[in-house]
Amino acid sequence: MALLARYDAPAFLPDFDSIPGQVEAWNKAVSAWFDQNIADDKDAFGRDTLLYYNAATFDPGGVEVEQEITWNAFPKELLRRYGRERALVLADRLWPIESFGVYPSDPDNTNGTMGVLYRPQEEYCEWHVVRGPDLGKILRIIFTSEPPEYWQALFGLVPGSKMPPVIDDQHFPGDRDKLLHLYHELVSYDVRQPDLIAVDDIKDEDGEILVRKGQYNIYNKWNTTLGIAHLNSPPNSLVAEIKLGADASIRYLNPQGYLLVEPEALICYAGYGGANRNSDPTIGASVNALARTGAYVTLRNPVGLYMDHIDLSGWEAPDQGSVSDCVRIIRGRPGMVERMVVEVPPARGFAVSDLMIAGVPIRYGGQVAECITVKLTGIANILPKPISRNSALTAAHRMLDPRWPVAVNKLKLTDPIPAGSVEAFLFQGTGDAPALAVRTEDIAKRLQPAVRLKRARYGFRF
Amino acid sequence: MMDDREHESFQAAHEPVLPMADIQGIIVPGFLKQHHTLIGVCAPDRKGANAEFRRFIGEFAEEVTTALEALKDRRNRRAAKQNRAERISIRPLVAIAFSHVGLLKVTMGASSLPSDAFRQGLSARSGYLGDPSNPESPGHPGKWKIGGPGHELDALIVVAGDTRDQVDARADDVQRMLDGARLKVAYQEKGDVRDDFPGREHFGFSDGISQPGIRGRASDDPGDFITPRHIAREAEPAHAQFGYPGQDLVWPGVLLLGQPASSPDPLIPGIPSSAVPNWSQNGSYLVFRRLRQHVPLFWKTMESEANRLSKLPGFEGTTAQKLAAHLVGRWPSGAPVNRSPLNDDEALGNEPLANNHFRFDSDAKALPLTSGFEDKYPQSKADPAGITCPWAAHIRKVNTRDSASDTGGRDSTYIRRILRVGIPYGKPLADGDADVKSEKDKKGEEDPYVKTESQSDKDDRGLLFLSIQASIEDQFEFLVTRWMGDPSRPKMPAGHDILVGQNDAPGEHRERRCVLFGSGLQQATVTTNAQWIVPTGGGYFFVPSLSALREVLGGT
Repeated sequence: MALLARYDAPAFLPDFDSIPGQVEAWNKAVSAWFDQNIADDKDAFGRDTLLYYNAATFDPGGVEVEQEITWNAFPKELLRRYGRERALVLADRLWPIESFGVYPSDPDNTNGTMGVLYRPQEEYCEWHVVRGPDLGKILRIIFTSEPPEYWQALFGLVPGSKMPPVIDDQHFPGDRDKLLHLYHELVSYDVRQPDLIAVDDIKDEDGEILVRKGQYNIYNKWNTTLGIAHLNSPPNSLVAEIKLGADASIRYLNPQGYLLVEPEALICYAGYGGANRNSDPTIGASVNALARTGAYVTLRNPVGLYMDHIDLSGWEAPDQGSVSDCVRIIRGRPGMVERMVVEVPPARGFAVSDLMIAGVPIRYGGQVAECITVKLTGIANILPKPISRNSALTAAHRMLDPRWPVAVNKLKLTDPIPAGSVEAFLFQGTGDAPALAVRTEDIAKRLQPAVRLKRARYGFRF
Repeated sequence: MMDDREHESFQAAHEPVLPMADIQGIIVPGFLKQHHTLIGVCAPDRKGANAEFRRFIGEFAEEVTTALEALKDRRNRRAAKQNRAERISIRPLVAIAFSHVGLLKVTMGASSLPSDAFRQGLSARSGYLGDPSNPESPGHPGKWKIGGPGHELDALIVVAGDTRDQVDARADDVQRMLDGARLKVAYQEKGDVRDDFPGREHFGFSDGISQPGIRGRASDDPGDFITPRHIAREAEPAHAQFGYPGQDLVWPGVLLLGQPASSPDPLIPGIPSSAVPNWSQNGSYLVFRRLRQHVPLFWKTMESEANRLSKLPGFEGTTAQKLAAHLVGRWPSGAPVNRSPLNDDEALGNEPLANNHFRFDSDAKALPLTSGFEDKYPQSKADPAGITCPWAAHIRKVNTRDSASDTGGRDSTYIRRILRVGIPYGKPLADGDADVKSEKDKKGEEDPYVKTESQSDKDDRGLLFLSIQASIEDQFEFLVTRWMGDPSRPKMPAGHDILVGQNDAPGEHRERRCVLFGSGLQQATVTTNAQWIVPTGGGYFFVPSLSALREVLGGT
C-alpha cells in the first residue's frame, strides 16, 4: 500500500471543488486532526500505547481489512432514560443547550434557558420533522449526517479548542455565497447571510465559548427551529469521530489492573464517549478489538459519518403501493448518505404520517430513525507479526443508580461513589489475573495531569 | 490477590427467588423434550362459547405444568444422566398460551397488554418480519397452514414428554377435555427430535446449544439456582456471568414479566419488566412460527456456491459442508467454527462444557470448572472482523456475545435473548444429513439432495419454532428484522443471515447475500434467492401465570 494521497470531503461532496484551495485545506485539516489527537493521546498515555495512524503520513505496510461499524440512528440515551414512548416524543424536539449532558427528569421545562437550542439526537444522525399547518400530518422528515466542520469550512473557519486535547483553528478559503446557496437549496430561500452568523459569543453555562462572535453559528435558526442543514448536537462532529478512534486504539487496564475488553466497561473506564449511546460503545469497542489483535487502525477516506441505508421492511402505504419512492437521497450516495428525505410524492395523495411501519402509523421522526443504520468505516492494517503496545491505566469510571438502573452516570475516578449508587463494570476483563497490582489512589495520582476535559469533543463533563 | 470484599464483588447481586408455583414450566426452565404435540384451539363463535372457554381454562389450569414441576423434571433428568441411570419419567409437561383474539374472549383486559405485535398477531406482522409480500408466494400468510389471516388460533397448548406414546396419551386427554368444553381443535401437529440424529435440525446441524440461562433461585436456599453454575469461583469474573461456559445468565425480566430485567451492567439487576395489567405478572410471550425447511434446495445451493468459491484464490477446498458451517457458525456436530475453523470436531460439538465457550472480540481461555473438567480443545482466537466466523453466520447474527453491536454495548445482546423451546417436525430426508452428504461426496456418488423435492405433505419437514421472551418487539422481532434480515447489522462486514433470514425489501427480489473471508483475507460474496426456509404458519401468544389462569382468565 501507499500513503493516502488526500483526505477527501465527506461522501466526496462536491461543494469544495469550485473553491480555489478549499480541497487542499480540507485535506490539511483532516490530517491535522489525526496528528493532534494522536499527539494528545501520546502525551496522556505514553508514546508507545497507540495503534492509530494518519494514513496520509504513515503506511504500516500490512493488508488492509475494512470494517464498517454500524449503529442505529435513534438515540439510545433517551431510550434508556425515558423509555421508548417518551423518547419518541423527546427526540423530535429541540432541547436547550443547558440540558446537554444533564438529562433532566422534566426535559419539557425550558424556562430560564439562553435560547440556544440543539437536537438531542446524539447518534451522528439528526432529523427535522415538517408537519402540516394543523401540526398533525407529517409532510416530510429530513435526516442528515453531515458534520458541522464541513459547513464551518465553507464559512472559512473550523474553530479549534484550547482545552485539552488542544486542537488548532483550521482556516479555509471558504465561500460564504456558496454556503448561503446551499441553505437556499436545502432549507429555505428565506435564509439571509446574517442569519447564519453569531452576533455574539455563544457560551455554555461554564462560560466556555461554543460559537465565536462573527463566525458561522451552527445553532442558527435555519438549522434548529426552522430547518436542518447539518448535525448540531454537541457530540456529533468529525473531530470527535477522529478522537474516538485514537482513544479507542489503546489497550486499557481498569483500576484493578485487568485488561478491559467488554464494550461498555471499556467506554466507561476509558471515558472516550457516551456510554449510553448506540454509537460510541460500538465504535470504541470495534476499534479496540482490532487494535488488541495487534493491527494498526485508522478511518477510511473519506472520513465521515454516514447513513448506510434505511430498512423499509414492514413499511406499508395506504394505497398498498411500494414505499421506495418515499425515500430520496439528497446528498451523498448509497452507502454514504449525508442527507435523506422521507416524503410521499404529491401525486400519491397522502402524507408521511399515513405510512405505517409494522402496522403502526408514523407519528414521530424517531420511528423512521429506528429504521436507519449509521456508520463509519474503520481499517485494520494487519501485519504478519502483530504489533505489541503498552497498556494504559484508565482515567474515568461510571456508576449506576440502583433505584433506577437504566443508564450509567458519570463519575471521576477520584470522586467517591455517591450514597445509594453502585459502581458499574467492576472486574469486567478477560478473566486474566490482574496484570499489575495498583491502588486506585496511585492511578489517580498518576493520571491527574492527564484527566482531560473532554466535553468539547465528546459532549460530557466530569 | 484480591481480598474477600473484592472477591465477593464478583458475585452478582442476590438473585431473586422466583414464584415457581405461579410460573408456567415452559417459561422457566423451559420444555426441552424429545417429543411435542402442539394443539391449536378455537372457541366457536356461538352464544355461551366464551363462558365454556373460561370454564375450560379454569379446569385446565390444574393440568398445566408449573416451573417447580418442570425444574424437578429437569433435575431428575440431569441426575439420571450423571448416574447413567434410567430416569424416572413423569407425566408429559403441559403449557397453555393465548392469542390476543383468544384472550379477548375471556377478558377485556387483553387489550391492555402493551404490545402492538401481540395485538396485531403474527400474520399481520409477517411483512415486517420479511416474509413474502407477494400473495402467490408459498410463505405468504394467505397460504399458511395455520394462523393465517382470519384463521388465528385462540389458544395454543403444548404437550411435551420423553416418549411419543406418553405425549400422545396426554394429548388425547387434552383433546377429551376440549371436546367436553365443546372447543374446536383447529390444528394439531407432532414434533419429534430426529431419530437418526437426535438434537439436529433437518439441515443436519445441532440446534439449541446456545440458550440463555435465567438468573434466579427456586427457593430461599442461597445456592438453589434455577440455572446450574459450572464455573469455579476462581474464574473471575466469568464465574458470575455464565452458567455453562459461554451460557449468558440473564435477569429473569428478560423472559418473565414483572421481574428484574437487565441493566447496563450484566451483574446488576435492572428495573422490572413491565407487567401491565397486573395479571400479566409472571407471564411471558410465546412466539410460534412453523418454518418449513427445503433440505435439498439448501444443500444444492451450498454445493453450487462451494464449487464456485473453491475456484477463487483463498477459498480453495471449500466444500458444501464447510460453507454451510460458516453460514451457521457451527459445524453439524455443534462445534463452533471459532474453535475449529477447518473441520468439524465431533467430540467438541458433543461436549456441553466446551461447545458454547468462545468469544468473538478476544482470545478465549479454558476456565476452571466445578466438575474439574479440563477443556483441552483448541480455544477460539479473537475474530473481531469476522474473518474466521463470518458476521453473517446465524449464531453471530443473533448473539453478538462479547462484541458491541449497532445498539451499543453488551447489554444490547442480553436484552435480545430469547429462550427457544421448539422442535423439528416431519420425517428426516433419507440420507438427509450433512455428515452423510459429506461421505457421499467423498465417494463421488450422485448428490441425493439435488433430486427434485416434491411439494407434498409427505416431504413437509421443518421446525416448530417456539420462543419465550418478555417482549415480542424487542426480542424476537428485533432479532429477525434488525439483525437477521438486515445486511449491515449487528456488525459489518456481514450481509444477511442467509441460513434463516428473510429479505422482502422492495426491489431486492428476496435476495440474501453475505461476505466471507478467504485464507489470505480475500473477500467473497455468497448470494442467493433460494427460499429454503418458508414460513407456513404460527402465531403470537401470551403465556399467563397459574394464578391468572385460575383467577382472571378461567372460572365461571
